[in-house]
Amino acid sequence: MLSSVKGSWCLILGASSGMGRATALAMAREGANIFGVHFSTASQQDEVDALIEELRATGVQVVFHNRNAASKQTRAELVPLVAEATGGAGVRVLLHSLAFGSLLPFIPQDDQADVISQRQMEMTADVMGHSLVYWTRDLYVAGLLPRGAKVFALTSRGDEHAMPSYGAVSAAKAVLGSHVRQLAVELAPAGIAVNALRAGMTLTPAMQRIPNSAGLAQRAREGNPHGRTTTPEDVAETILMLSASDLSWMTGNTIAVDGGEGLV
Amino acid sequence: MPEPTTVLDLEDLRRTIAEILDVEEAEVTDTADFKEDLDVDSLLAMEIMVALERKYQVTMGESNLQEVRSLISVHDLLAAKLVTA
Repeated sequence: MLSSVKGSWCLILGASSGMGRATALAMAREGANIFGVHFSTASQQDEVDALIEELRATGVQVVFHNRNAASKQTRAELVPLVAEATGGAGVRVLLHSLAFGSLLPFIPQDDQADVISQRQMEMTADVMGHSLVYWTRDLYVAGLLPRGAKVFALTSRGDEHAMPSYGAVSAAKAVLGSHVRQLAVELAPAGIAVNALRAGMTLTPAMQRIPNSAGLAQRAREGNPHGRTTTPEDVAETILMLSASDLSWMTGNTIAVDGGEGLV
Repeated sequence: MPEPTTVLDLEDLRRTIAEILDVEEAEVTDTADFKEDLDVDSLLAMEIMVALERKYQVTMGESNLQEVRSLISVHDLLAAKLVTA
């Protein structure tokens, strides 16, 4: 049975830009309330304020917090606020869209002497990988992931491919894929589906930080059978579609959302 | 323009940063390198930046991350921001 997301809550980690932002807008337009967590400097505040305003204009409830979602303290403080905002009902959708990591090579290069440090490697895996587990668990334990809830994580082609300077993020994406499988199994009895979406090359602010992102995007555009790159809205609509049912049978997958880019 | 809520004071800044990093104040010497000496990663540096923006009512961008390097460099960054604020 299909069921609308209207009136439910969607918790988005990394809500201020890219796919998190697009999903917030798509969900709000369908009537879902948005609990967004983002981590931004004051220079980005105007943009975030404009997003909040746009979300509120749809008539849904909107709560945004500017906090580091990867920190234990943030989770401890925000999980009770999720309970409060949702009236204890919890969230229908949890989207993990955190993109904060280190883009440095492992081995010194002729034109790039800087290499990734142990600390940066671990931070990247923690933010972009492990934090999915901690948020999912804390919400579940607090009774905020009801039967039928959907957990989505965003991975990339880097989960199985090497790209220049992308090593730490690649590793984090591989971690994420593993966590999705493990969580899917452990949450199956609770009727909660956990899946990863592997978007095609998408020109988000996070992607634009990758060295030679313009070149990568051009190659993706030329290679994609649809003749264009993936947009954040493509991913948002997919999340909306996959959230429109209480069924948890499709779980533990990495689902390509790339217009066929990975096939060719 | 609202008055800055906090006056820039080196010792107060030291306390604030030590608290964010969860280290003893004595470890945050004037010149201790955050990255090399205090094991600060770029996410913690961002935490410092966002916390200081709130405390001192200034606006920073991610380009300022490079300046979140030591107590003195953060002090200089804030001093410059507060003058132009």
